[in-house]
Amino acid sequence: MAQEQKRADAARQVPVIELRHIDKYFGSLHVLKDVNLSVQRGEVVVIIGPSGSGKSTLCRTINRLETIDAGEIIIDGAVMPEEGKMLAKLRSEIGMVFQSFNLFEHKSILDNVTIAPRDVLRVPRKEAQEEAMRLLERVGVADQAHKVPAQLSGGQKQRVAIARSLAMHPKAILFDEPTSALDPEMIGEVLDVMTELAGEGMTMVIVTHEMNFARRVADRVIFMDGGSILEENTPQEFFSAPRSQRARDFLNSLGDRER
Amino acid sequence: MSTANSSIRDVLYEPPGPKTRRRIGIATAVSIVVLVVLAAKVVRQFYIAGQLGPKYWSLFARYTTWRFLGRGLAGTMEVAVAASAVAFAAGLLLMLGRISRYKILRGFSTALIEITRGIPTLLFIYFFFLLAPQFGLKLPAFWKITLPVAISAAGVVAEVLRSGVNAVPKGQAEAAVSLGMRGGSVFFKIVFPQGFRYVVPALISEIVIVLKDTTFAYVVNYSDLMQNAKVLISNYDALLSVYLVTAVIYILINYLLHKLSVRIAGRNRIPGITIE
Ligand SMILES: Nc1ncnc2c1ncn2[C@@H]1O[C@H](COP(=O)(O)OP(=O)(O)O)[C@@H](O)[C@H]1O
Ligand SMILES: [Mg+2]
Repeated sequence: MAQEQKRADAARQVPVIELRHIDKYFGSLHVLKDVNLSVQRGEVVVIIGPSGSGKSTLCRTINRLETIDAGEIIIDGAVMPEEGKMLAKLRSEIGMVFQSFNLFEHKSILDNVTIAPRDVLRVPRKEAQEEAMRLLERVGVADQAHKVPAQLSGGQKQRVAIARSLAMHPKAILFDEPTSALDPEMIGEVLDVMTELAGEGMTMVIVTHEMNFARRVADRVIFMDGGSILEENTPQEFFSAPRSQRARDFLNSLGDRER
Repeated sequence: MSTANSSIRDVLYEPPGPKTRRRIGIATAVSIVVLVVLAAKVVRQFYIAGQLGPKYWSLFARYTTWRFLGRGLAGTMEVAVAASAVAFAAGLLLMLGRISRYKILRGFSTALIEITRGIPTLLFIYFFFLLAPQFGLKLPAFWKITLPVAISAAGVVAEVLRSGVNAVPKGQAEAAVSLGMRGGSVFFKIVFPQGFRYVVPALISEIVIVLKDTTFAYVVNYSDLMQNAKVLISNYDALLSVYLVTAVIYILINYLLHKLSVRIAGRNRIPGITIE
């Protein structure tokens, strides 16, 4: 019993996502500057910062959609290699939700959700479909299962994208501005699904400009500017009394719109 | 027709107003008159030359004439289908080579694509018909026409497929990769099927070219539609009538191919993308 407890404690110590000293250049542009980040199991980390500060690049770096020039990416204790089987396996453990949805346009909604479990995890078709229907139910688009992505609204598409990620039973999900491409009236339905996920204990890294949402769901806020993490703080602290001047400027620049 | 599926024409031109409609009407009328006059002149010339005489047309009342042309048509179709299949397979391989991560393979495929695109079909036919036998490569007439036609289409097919694959947004592959899918699956399950759909019409145009290239069959003495038409011409001395009938048959096949292309494009339609 004591031993089990110890092991559980140890497991809690290992971060789901850990970035160590990441440097990234686009040509001569230094986009990520010695970035260190660790995300614990069940934690919701929100990344905030002005446009061009490197938030997307950081997000994409976590599952190596971008190459890096220095540093280490460690997923649940395993170092993520640059290529090969292990890279694919670790990627499958980290879900990703894109600003532009990126649903597979030639596949039905149902197939969008089943394709990865079937292809990667070799789940039998019927089983994959049953699970997909449960997930689509959960995000509220089960009635769209047999349509193709082009027939759905943006909000519906993004919820399907979340279901598609969930189908791989990821250890964490990355969201890169998941509501930025949506009409205002659809933002809520996507944020609701994300809030629910956070409540269920999903580990999440979220890049967003939705400050109210950030305040509500974040366990920790990370402020980025110019490729560096300038501040890590609790949402309460960050939004009421940010430590860095640039974070203050950034929050002020958002103006009354968000506050 | 919904706006999402409207054709490019609707976008480029605003609907014609009353003035434009009148102008279109006049232009159409003038064109028709000119065409009718021209056609009448041509027919008159043939009449003077005697090509309209019944002896040049009566052969088409005979069942054997049609059976002979039918056999030729079957020969044409066999070559066209086989050549299209070979061209597609070879084009797919060349395209995969050209986008491969291995530089040598890339260079090799690029060279082959450029060569097959740059050399006229007839030269490939001479190669298989005249040169290859000297090196002990003796093929049946069917392959002597099928292979050259396929080879000269393969490079084009490769480039058409590549343009389709390149047109697929990068986010599609990124989404697949981030789900843990590996290179082969990402390409063949996500990227290629979408790229392929973009280029179905271009591929069918290439089949039309293959079909026309099969008319070189006479060079290797393979009985295709054209070859059999030539036999009829020399047997009956009936130039105009036979060529006319043959041309109509070719036009009909290509028209059917066009219809098929529209059907397939419609069935495979990714909503929002229209192919006419
Ligand atoms: N593929 C790319 N090639 C070159 N520069 C890029 C590329 N992607 C992003 N950048 C640059 O890197 C910087 C960070 O971009 P990004 O991570 O997208 O910022 P954010 O998501 O915070 O707006 C920006 O200056 C951007 O112009
Ligand atoms: Mg961004």
